[in-house]
Amino acid sequence: MKKFDVIIIGGGHNGLVASSYLSKKGKKVLVIEKNENVGGLAEYAESLNCISPIIKKELGINVNNINHSNNIISLEDNQNHTILSDKNGKLSFVQTNADENDQKKFLSIINNYKLFSKTLGAFMFQKPPRVKSGKRADLFQLISMGWKIRKLGKKNMRELLRVIGLNIADDLEDNLNSNNLMGLLSHEAVLGTNLGPRSPGSILTLLYKQAINDNIFNLNKIEVAEYINQLEDCCNKNTVEIIKSSEVKKILTQNNSVTGVQLTNGEVFESKYVMSNADPKTTYLNLLGAEILDTDFIRRTKNFRNKGNVAKLELALENEININNIDKKMNGKFIYAPGIKYIEHAFNANKYNKYSENPCLEFYVNQKTLSANVYYVPYLINTNHKENEIIERCVSVLSKFIPDMKIVKQKLITPNKMEEKFNITGGHWHHGDLEIDQLLMMRPFYGSAQYSTPINGLYLCGAGTHPGGGVTGINGLNAAKKVIEDLK
Amino acid sequence: MNTSKISYKKPLLETPFHERTSEHCYANDWYRWAGYKVAKEYSSTELEYTSMRNTAGVIDITPMHKYDIKGEDAKKFINKLITKDITNIQSNQVAYGIWCNEDGMVIDDGTIFCFNENHFRIFCAERNLNWFSDTATGFNASVEDISPSIAALAFQGPLSCKILNLLKVENIENLKPFHFNNYNIENHNVTISRTGFSGDLGYEIWCDPSQAIDVWDSLFKFNRDYKVLAAGMNALEMVRIEAGFIQPNVDFMSAEQALRPNRMRNPYELGLGWLVNLDKEYFTGKQALIRHKEKGPEKKLVGLDIEGDKPAVGSVLYDNSKKNQAKEIGIVTAAMWSPVLKSNIAIGFVSKEHYKLGSNVYAEIYHPEELDYRKIWAECKVVKKQFFNNPRRNETPAFT
Repeated sequence: MKKFDVIIIGGGHNGLVASSYLSKKGKKVLVIEKNENVGGLAEYAESLNCISPIIKKELGINVNNINHSNNIISLEDNQNHTILSDKNGKLSFVQTNADENDQKKFLSIINNYKLFSKTLGAFMFQKPPRVKSGKRADLFQLISMGWKIRKLGKKNMRELLRVIGLNIADDLEDNLNSNNLMGLLSHEAVLGTNLGPRSPGSILTLLYKQAINDNIFNLNKIEVAEYINQLEDCCNKNTVEIIKSSEVKKILTQNNSVTGVQLTNGEVFESKYVMSNADPKTTYLNLLGAEILDTDFIRRTKNFRNKGNVAKLELALENEININNIDKKMNGKFIYAPGIKYIEHAFNANKYNKYSENPCLEFYVNQKTLSANVYYVPYLINTNHKENEIIERCVSVLSKFIPDMKIVKQKLITPNKMEEKFNITGGHWHHGDLEIDQLLMMRPFYGSAQYSTPINGLYLCGAGTHPGGGVTGINGLNAAKKVIEDLK
Repeated sequence: MNTSKISYKKPLLETPFHERTSEHCYANDWYRWAGYKVAKEYSSTELEYTSMRNTAGVIDITPMHKYDIKGEDAKKFINKLITKDITNIQSNQVAYGIWCNEDGMVIDDGTIFCFNENHFRIFCAERNLNWFSDTATGFNASVEDISPSIAALAFQGPLSCKILNLLKVENIENLKPFHFNNYNIENHNVTISRTGFSGDLGYEIWCDPSQAIDVWDSLFKFNRDYKVLAAGMNALEMVRIEAGFIQPNVDFMSAEQALRPNRMRNPYELGLGWLVNLDKEYFTGKQALIRHKEKGPEKKLVGLDIEGDKPAVGSVLYDNSKKNQAKEIGIVTAAMWSPVLKSNIAIGFVSKEHYKLGSNVYAEIYHPEELDYRKIWAECKVVKKQFFNNPRRNETPAFT
């Protein structure tokens, strides 16, 4: 029976970050990955935009930015598309139907949100404080959070506290007239969450995502595969053992403490420290087993909202893709969410576990291929998606803008497929919704926050922890730091 | 539950015994228990109490919540739920247990009937379906609320066995305390358990609702010689205080219902530490209970023997015989003048410095006298909660 200092379940990017960090600190680490390749869900990230400089520094990773064309193109049925260009975080309109007043206000709203998200961003990369722990460090962190908000000044602090629980539709409708611009910003707020533009808290999600990405429209990119490769190299250099194509069946415990893990093939590895890169529900209900957890804790685990609703669509066409009324050089991120009403209607279907008649899309074009995030395609329990129907709906939207679509190849990855492939209960990008009660020191939920769990020696390091999804790597790093702290 | 019987004009359900209980209930004084109507007082609380202490009393306890736990993991489920270890429980045995939340605070207590390894039944006063169902996560065990399908009577008192004997319930005298079995009362199949709330010999009878009236009538059959009375909730309250049984949401707030966290109580505070087995591998609240035990209770539920004869209902407890120097140290949760013990008794919380048996504390009793209160400063001695515990309760064969 092999013994390790730390075993990491799941070789997602957070698992790799954690293992690299731990092995750099001289620990003997084992990573167990279910699939043939490591990297996990990062495979579906179009290209990365948000690995944090801290990770680059700590692990000595050096991935260059790729220069996408920095445009955001919001498509409109009447072919009067809006094009925004982003130059180092400075937005300007290239083409739009909206009047000057609207343009000005739109940019000022974004500036406001940027300011607020900076305030939140200060806590993004730290371990969130524990409330009522009585420890000085936690208290200090809480005070500094309060102080950062206070420091915004009277007017801005009031504005932040006003919008933080607000739905984005209300704020936009108060300020703008152009449906297209409202749809564009609403899209960024609701993509990847279980919210519609009129759901309370949708502004907070936008601010939060912006704080993680350091940009509202996610534009500075690096190559995913390259990043994962470098992480894997970093692991190999530091003698991390990685077992691929093996699935963990059970986390073994005794007397409320971890003793090791057992694989589906029966093999057992011993360790007093186990980190789970799986989502909280999978970790607690499947890997650990509810039998040894308190009933209140199981309730909270079950109530963790983790229903994914974004599907990934990959299309290959016969000819090079041209978008109507858009210059070929104007490549970038295309968004089809032409107004609050449209998105909200799409969201209505989601509430009743149906996919939207009129899906919203975000897509990138690369010569003959197109890859899109489609929402809302809810995670379904007990039934299957009619995939062809969903693809048809998407194609009928796309064909408004792409003349003569001749599809050679098509592939749809629904939340259910993501669940199956990566063992993520609910197939959620972020392992769980980013909403006010599932953020910061409350993520994923009370009793499991700050990367620790009720079981001694078991830690969470996946997207279910603070700061949530997005390929930041911070979750893995913070969790690894916590393990090092406890190992002492 | 037959909800069709409920309407806005008739918001409470009637138990299968209602035809009889309503005949007996001259006082027409009803109590609302889990959506049912049960008698608070039939004609005279004192008489009903006396019947339970001298012959036998019949109490309609149908509204009790009853949950069937079935499946391969039924026993494992119970062991996770309650704080006590029931690994060695045998068929036809009854266990008394409490269950706590993750903070080690008591949610409710109940009796657990073991039919076999794969089938248990839990009887409790509060609704617990939600808690049980969530606790069953990960176990191969189903939880079903079967409350409406069973009619129940408590038959308590020194002559209860004698009367069952007269009814030719075979071998009933050999039923041991905390056991149950199937019996026959005048051609009706019933389940009888030797359990109860009175601190004396007594039984609880479980039957199909369709047979309820016949079973009720049988128990009153020998009333020419043995004056069996229907007893209401008030009389039950008297015997349970004497016996030292505690009641959720009366003596303590159920952790599932308390709104204020500092109103919840752990087993050590309730004097139920003997029901907690910290050696057991796992149960909900274990980690918290280890801490609670280490720390020791800040306050404790104790029995109080109070001077005088004025019941200390709702009294505040103090530490000094001189009122002007006294500090508050506790509160009375239930109090009565005990006719059978001829003493003034109470159950109450007393703080750390004073809960040792034999300590003296003082109660300020507000005694109503013709639209005015007389304030009495009464000395109380801290005693065991079990004021009344007749040896008959545990003897087998039972007293006939």
